[in-house]
Amino acid sequence: MRVAGSFEPGVVIVWLISMRDLQYRYRRFLIAVAVTALVFGIAVAIDGIKQTLQTEPDRLVAAFGADTWVVQRGSTGLFTTTALLPESVVGELRETPGVRSAQGVLSAFTTITGEERKNVNVIGFDLNSGGPEIVEGRAPQGEHEAVLGGGLDAEVGQQVATTSGAFTVVGRVAGLRFNGGTPTIFLTLSGAQTALMDGLPMVMGVAVEGQPEGLPAGTGITTNQAVSDDLRLTLSSATSTIDFVAFLTWIIAGGVIGAIVYLTAIDRTRDFAVLRATGSPKRLVVGGLMIQSLLLSMIAAGLAVPLAMLLRSGMPMPVTLSGSSVIRIVIVGIVVGVVASLAAVRRAVTTDPAVAFGGV
Amino acid sequence: MPDIKIRDLTIEYESGGYAVRPFDNFNLDLETGSLVLLLGASGCGKTTLLSALSSLLTPTSGTVHVGDTEVTSLAGEALTRYRQVGVGVVFQGFNLIPSLTARENIEVAMRAAGRPRRESRERAIALLDQVGLEDRVNHRPGAMSGGQQQRVSIARALALDPPLIVADEPTASLDYIQVDAVLRRLRDLAAPGRIVVVATHDERLLPLADRVVELTPRSIADDRPPERSELAPGEPLFTQGDTGTLVYEVDRGSIEIARELAGGGTEVLAIVEPPGYFGELAAMFGLRRSASARAGAKGAVVTGYNLREFRERLGREASAGFPGQR
Repeated sequence: MRVAGSFEPGVVIVWLISMRDLQYRYRRFLIAVAVTALVFGIAVAIDGIKQTLQTEPDRLVAAFGADTWVVQRGSTGLFTTTALLPESVVGELRETPGVRSAQGVLSAFTTITGEERKNVNVIGFDLNSGGPEIVEGRAPQGEHEAVLGGGLDAEVGQQVATTSGAFTVVGRVAGLRFNGGTPTIFLTLSGAQTALMDGLPMVMGVAVEGQPEGLPAGTGITTNQAVSDDLRLTLSSATSTIDFVAFLTWIIAGGVIGAIVYLTAIDRTRDFAVLRATGSPKRLVVGGLMIQSLLLSMIAAGLAVPLAMLLRSGMPMPVTLSGSSVIRIVIVGIVVGVVASLAAVRRAVTTDPAVAFGGV
Repeated sequence: MPDIKIRDLTIEYESGGYAVRPFDNFNLDLETGSLVLLLGASGCGKTTLLSALSSLLTPTSGTVHVGDTEVTSLAGEALTRYRQVGVGVVFQGFNLIPSLTARENIEVAMRAAGRPRRESRERAIALLDQVGLEDRVNHRPGAMSGGQQQRVSIARALALDPPLIVADEPTASLDYIQVDAVLRRLRDLAAPGRIVVVATHDERLLPLADRVVELTPRSIADDRPPERSELAPGEPLFTQGDTGTLVYEVDRGSIEIARELAGGGTEVLAIVEPPGYFGELAAMFGLRRSASARAGAKGAVVTGYNLREFRERLGREASAGFPGQR
C-alpha cells in the first residue's frame, strides 16, 4: 500500500473557496457591506469634522498674511482673549524698524437676528490693506458695511441684522469659519470698535508683516502657530469627544465585521471540518476567512468615501475630506476588519476535523 | 499479511463528566481488497473507529497501521498528507461544501494536495462520469438529490486514489433506489490495493461484505439458564464497557452501580438492594455496560437472567406487585 503525494496548496484554491462562499451567501455579504460601509462612512465624516476643527484656525490665521502678531504681554492669542491694547500701538508698530505693515484686529461674537438666530464671529480688520482675499464684491469701507465668510446665506447688497447693529453686505471671502464652524463677518476696524466696544479705540492684537526690532510697552509678540493653537485650545474638549466617538465608531465597525465573519465561521464549521478531514492545511482555512474579511473591509471602505460625502451635505458644519485622511481611514478600516475576523479564524482553525463525522 | 492492523486500541473520551471507553484493548486485522462492514447499534463506536482509521482522533493507547503507515503517531505535515492521499472519507451527511459545484468539491481536495489545476479538473470530471453524474458536474449540492450528493462524496473520496476508503452510514439518508447505486459503487471500490470500511447499522449491506465486524456482539444468552453469583464485599460483577447479556436481580446484600469519571475515580450512581434489578438496558439494546457493578459492604447474592426469562419474571411479578428497580 502506498501513501504518497505532493503538498502545495495554492492561493488560487483559497481564492476559489472564498469567492464561491461569498457568491453562495451573497445576501449576507451585501448586507454586511452596506452596514459596514455606513459605519465606515460615519467614521470618515466624524474624522472630517475633526479635521475641520483642527485646520480652521490655521486657515483663518494664514489668511491674514501676518509674519507675527503683537498682543498684550502674557497673552497667547487675540481671537480668544479679552486682553485689549490701545489702537495707538498699531501706529507705533508701523514706525518700528523691521515692520513692513501693521493692522489692528478686533474680534468678538455677535448674534444674527431675524427668523434664524445664529452666532457669528465678528472681526474688525481693514481688508483694503491685506488679509483674507475677497472673492466677491469689495472690502467694507463704512462702519455699517460687512464682508461675509462661509456659512451665511445673505447676498451682496442685502442687509444683515445683528445684536450689534445692521450691516450691508458688500462682499464675500471664501470659508474662514472658526470656533467650531461658526460663520464670520468682517467689518472695518472702526466699524467693529463702534459695534462691539462702544467706539473705544482698542484692538486685541496687531497683524504684523516683517519682524519688529522693538515692541511697544506692555505688548508681547506671538507666532501664527501660537495663535492657531490658542484657537484650537478652546475646542480641545470637543475634539476629544469627537475622538472618543470616532473610536466607538471603529469599535462598532469592527464588531459588525467580526460578527458577520464569525457567523460565517459558525455556519461553515462543518465545511472547515471536512476540509481539515480531507487534508486541507490550516492556512487554507485561515486564508479563506481572511480574504473574506479583507474584501468586506475594502469594499466597505471604498463605499465609505462617497457615503461620507453624502453625509457631509447634510451636516451643518464643514467636513474636511482630504486624500490623506481618506487613505488613512481606509487603512484603519482594513486593519479593523482583519483584527475583527481573528475570533472567527480562531474558531475555524480549532474546529475538530472529527466534527465532519457528525452526521446530517 | 493484513493491510490494516489495529492493536490494543483503547479510546476513551469524556461525555457529561463521565469517562466513555468504546474501545478497550481492541484488536482487528483487515486485508486488502475487502469490503468490511462495521456493524453495531448507535453509540457502539463505529464512527469512532472510522475516525481513528482516518487519523481524525488520537486514541488513548494502542496503534493503527494502514499499510506501512502508523496512523496513530502522525502529526503535522505527515498527518495532513495522510488525510490527503492515504484515506478517502465518505461522510454520513455527504458533507459536500455547499458553495462549490460537484466538480469543485472534488477539485478542492486535489488542489489542496498540490495537484495541478488541469489534472484536478479532468480527474474530477472523470470521477463524476464514473459515478454516473456527468450531467451534474456544475451543479451545487443543493441542486442534487441525496443519492447524487453521496455519489459526489464517493468521487471526492476517490480523488487521490487512496488505499483506504472509510464510509460512515453511507445509506442512512438515501431511499432504496439511491441506495442501490451507492452500494454497487462501494462494492466495486473494494479491489486489490484498497480496503473499503463501511460503518452501518443497515443490514441490507451484509450480503455485499467480505468481512463483518460486529462491534456489539449479538446476544448469546437467550437460552442460558439463570446464573446465581455470590460476591464478596467489593467484588466486581461486571465492569463498565463490558458487553451485557444478562439482567441481574439482587437476592441478598447490595450492589453498587458506579460510573468512571473523566478525571479518574468513580461516582456511585445507585445502590440496588432486594428485590431490585439492574443491567437490563445493555441486554435489551445490545449496548455495552454503561457502569460497573460490584458488591456492597456486606457482599451480595445476585441471579442473572437471560432477557426472555427476565421479561417473563417481570410480567409475573408486576401483576403480583413487584416494585422493580434499576
